[in-house]
Amino acid sequence: MTNESIWVYIQLNQDKIEPTSLQLLTKAKQIAEDKPVWAILLEPTTLTAEATIQQYGPDNILRLRDDRFAAATDEELADALEQVVTQYNPNSFLFPATTAGRSLAPRLQAKLQTGLTADCLDLAFDGDTLVQVKPTYGDNIMCDIICPDRRPQMATVRPNIFKAVRVPNSQTEVVSATFTFHPETTMTILNTTRLISQTASLSDAQTVIALGRGANQPKTIELARQLAAKMGGVVGVTRPLTDDPQFTHDQQIGQSGQTVAPDLLINLGISGAVQYTVGIQNANRIVSVNTDATAPIFADSDYGYVGDATEFLEGLLAQVK
Amino acid sequence: MKIVVCIKQVPSTNDVKIDPQTHNLVRSADGVINPFDKNAIEAALKLRDQTNGEVILLSMGPESYRESLLEGLAMGADSAYLLSSRALGGADTLATGYPLSQAIQKIGDVELVLFGRQSVDADTGQVGPIVAEYLNVPQVTFAEAIDLTEDHHLIGKRRLDAAEQEVEVELPAAVTVRSEMNQPRYATPRQIQKSFEKPLTVWTEQDLDLDPERIGLAGSPTQVTQVYAPAAAKKRVTMLTGTPEHAVQELLQSL
Amino acid sequence: MTDKNQKLANQMLMHMISDFTNNELAPVDMLIDKQGDYPEGLFELAVQTGLLGITLPQQYGGAGFDYAATAQALQIMAAGNASLAVTLEGHFKTIEQFMKYGNPELNDHYLPLATHQILAFSQTEPSGGSNPTGITTRAVKQGDNWVITGDKIMITNGGLASVYCVLAKTEDDQLAVFVVDQDMPGFSFGKREDFIGLKGTPVAEIVMDHIVVPDYHLLGQVGQGLEIGDQAHADARVLMGAVLAGIMTHELQIAVDYAKERKALTTPLYQLQVTQQKIADIAIAKQNTELLYQQAAKLKVQGQPYAEIAAMAKSYGSRSAVKVGDETLQILGGYGYSRDYPIEHLIRDARAMELAEGSIEKMNLEITKAEINK
Repeated sequence: MTNESIWVYIQLNQDKIEPTSLQLLTKAKQIAEDKPVWAILLEPTTLTAEATIQQYGPDNILRLRDDRFAAATDEELADALEQVVTQYNPNSFLFPATTAGRSLAPRLQAKLQTGLTADCLDLAFDGDTLVQVKPTYGDNIMCDIICPDRRPQMATVRPNIFKAVRVPNSQTEVVSATFTFHPETTMTILNTTRLISQTASLSDAQTVIALGRGANQPKTIELARQLAAKMGGVVGVTRPLTDDPQFTHDQQIGQSGQTVAPDLLINLGISGAVQYTVGIQNANRIVSVNTDATAPIFADSDYGYVGDATEFLEGLLAQVK
Repeated sequence: MKIVVCIKQVPSTNDVKIDPQTHNLVRSADGVINPFDKNAIEAALKLRDQTNGEVILLSMGPESYRESLLEGLAMGADSAYLLSSRALGGADTLATGYPLSQAIQKIGDVELVLFGRQSVDADTGQVGPIVAEYLNVPQVTFAEAIDLTEDHHLIGKRRLDAAEQEVEVELPAAVTVRSEMNQPRYATPRQIQKSFEKPLTVWTEQDLDLDPERIGLAGSPTQVTQVYAPAAAKKRVTMLTGTPEHAVQELLQSL
Repeated sequence: MTDKNQKLANQMLMHMISDFTNNELAPVDMLIDKQGDYPEGLFELAVQTGLLGITLPQQYGGAGFDYAATAQALQIMAAGNASLAVTLEGHFKTIEQFMKYGNPELNDHYLPLATHQILAFSQTEPSGGSNPTGITTRAVKQGDNWVITGDKIMITNGGLASVYCVLAKTEDDQLAVFVVDQDMPGFSFGKREDFIGLKGTPVAEIVMDHIVVPDYHLLGQVGQGLEIGDQAHADARVLMGAVLAGIMTHELQIAVDYAKERKALTTPLYQLQVTQQKIADIAIAKQNTELLYQQAAKLKVQGQPYAEIAAMAKSYGSRSAVKVGDETLQILGGYGYSRDYPIEHLIRDARAMELAEGSIEKMNLEITKAEINK
């Protein structure tokens, strides 16, 4: 076993750290054994994300500073990362499976001629080999994937699969990297507009009201929206409801949709196919209402009620303060 | 203007199970075009109609992938290439991106390469950026809209994690397409018949002069060591009883 | 095209039709019935998708699929919604008559339009059913032209179609078929029927007041009217058999889904013998109709006589679709009787085909005649 480091890419969404990067720091530390965990931070001089990152306990923060990172292209980021990977030769390099991570990581992979596993649900070390658990066929099948001969072993990891845990590390060392920023002359970022997207709010929400095929009536949907508004939560749906024009793919939970990690999840009219339940494993408390007492969703729930979703919603709206 | 659309054939449903005895995947033999790739084909056809261009489909896989290429031709693409041989089989994303990029170079004068945002079976979305890197062209991933400008540039609107981004790239470039970009047209019955008259060329590693170390299983850094069904975590459930009002009351007390 | 490629092309057609059906037709099935018409844009999308040209030869801009593949496509479509399939049935059977009897000038004029305009065939008159001997529409020869005057009712796609083949009597009491179109002076539409089923398919009257058409608008020869009318019936019946098999596919799906989902106390319905008997009946009737129309289509493609089998497909298929629709309703119980569920309109849709293109009684008469003359 070697002491090669595990790298975690710190994704910045404008001035905010992508939560998945912090979740990955925690996970990396859990599986690291004696491997040092490095946070790889590409930031403009206007930002100082180091203090926040340090809260999650990496051994090192490798900092690449350049103001052009405020709006850099995938190629510019990949080029800078290639330079530091070649200098330090990490054992593995983890990225959030966000749109940014899934755009950048494969570009870097091609530069480094190594393996990259997409959208992992779990990670573990077998000696120096990173075993990457990846879902396929819309989460119907799991695969264990390894990259035995090449380094770094790269993976993108699905958001909200792991919980970020604060373990401040006073020993965290910030290392300034030596690299050259090579501007990509054939591409210009014209503008970036922050979105309050349903995706972000669904995966970050503390309360989620989820609707399935058994709760697809206009009245039920309206009541669910009212309850969500009252509780400060958001509405999510299962795959079949995305056919309804009032919902988008961004509001889908589970099977190649969103993974949610709310404190409270209320499932209404959802039978609980594995493709769905994969997306709710990190919900803290799960309440499910279904007319079918044998619905598999109850096996994944803390509280269950056999009955009508609409009436249950009416009860909640009346009683929730 | 030559536009290449890279497409993948996927099983017609994701309803795949593991045979409990053999541990092999049991999946429908029916292959269709990856749904996101249809959005890429639609985008290409629209641009072609604006620019009097040419839409060329490119895929890598067994002989049976001819069917999805024909389907793409029936949507209106002009010609198709299939990279197919035993040596190319078993490739991961890296060993897929390399032959595809070599084929695009051999096709020549390609100004735009389009991909669906990801395949619905493997769900990686990696091949687009890998090909962009090999071709050394800018990439616009997760695009929701694309437009050509008069000075040979492309303006793309990307949907990122918490932001929308507008970018401008000089052609040639590679774009991966989100399904929000368009509604793919149907193949028409007439085009289905005509698709058999359009050029469909099969290339092997010899036609592309590929490095044997970089293709197929040998050229794939990753290996699948195990395939299994996901385990569902079981919880101990407390059932609420009585009228909905009573059940809600009981729930709120427990919470 | 090689046989192997043609087989693949047929398979691609079925895939495409089933995508179209799942995405565009099935979701508006109930809506079509309730609003009594195609929703805005549906027919235009069908045109844009080239569905009007499935059978039309490629030289006229069509796809040139054979009748067997076309019939199969209509079955798939009808399993989502029968109205559009019946609209296409009326169009395709008319194209067949142009192909068999049309002179080159007539075909060169009208068949290229058939990719985006519906062609219709009309025999029935207010004075009496499909009986051609009582025809009162007159065609009078004037120099190089014909002057057509008369009333035609119960025309499938009346109002939607722009070109009409009409059966008329000449001065010497011979039957002939002429082609008129809606833009000709003297042409007007009458009332659209308020039928109880197939609510999307328009059925209407046309009125012809001294329409002047050139000689080449004669389809076939003077005296061939009866033959062409029978031929159109036979071609229509093959496709109607397919539509009926499609309706039964839909009924079977509803019955099976419900029997799997619904429980009588704790026992799923499908475990009850009474339900099992009904589902078997539905499946057998669907399969029989499928075999009959496919056999008729195959004989037609091979150039063999098919009129009798086509009559059987429609006679057996229409009666069965109504009967098994009723069985399905019974499985669903109160829900089956509700207009919130599709089964009641499937029965009404199927019921049309016990009448259209020759009543069951007329078909059975023809089948018996064919058997006796064997």
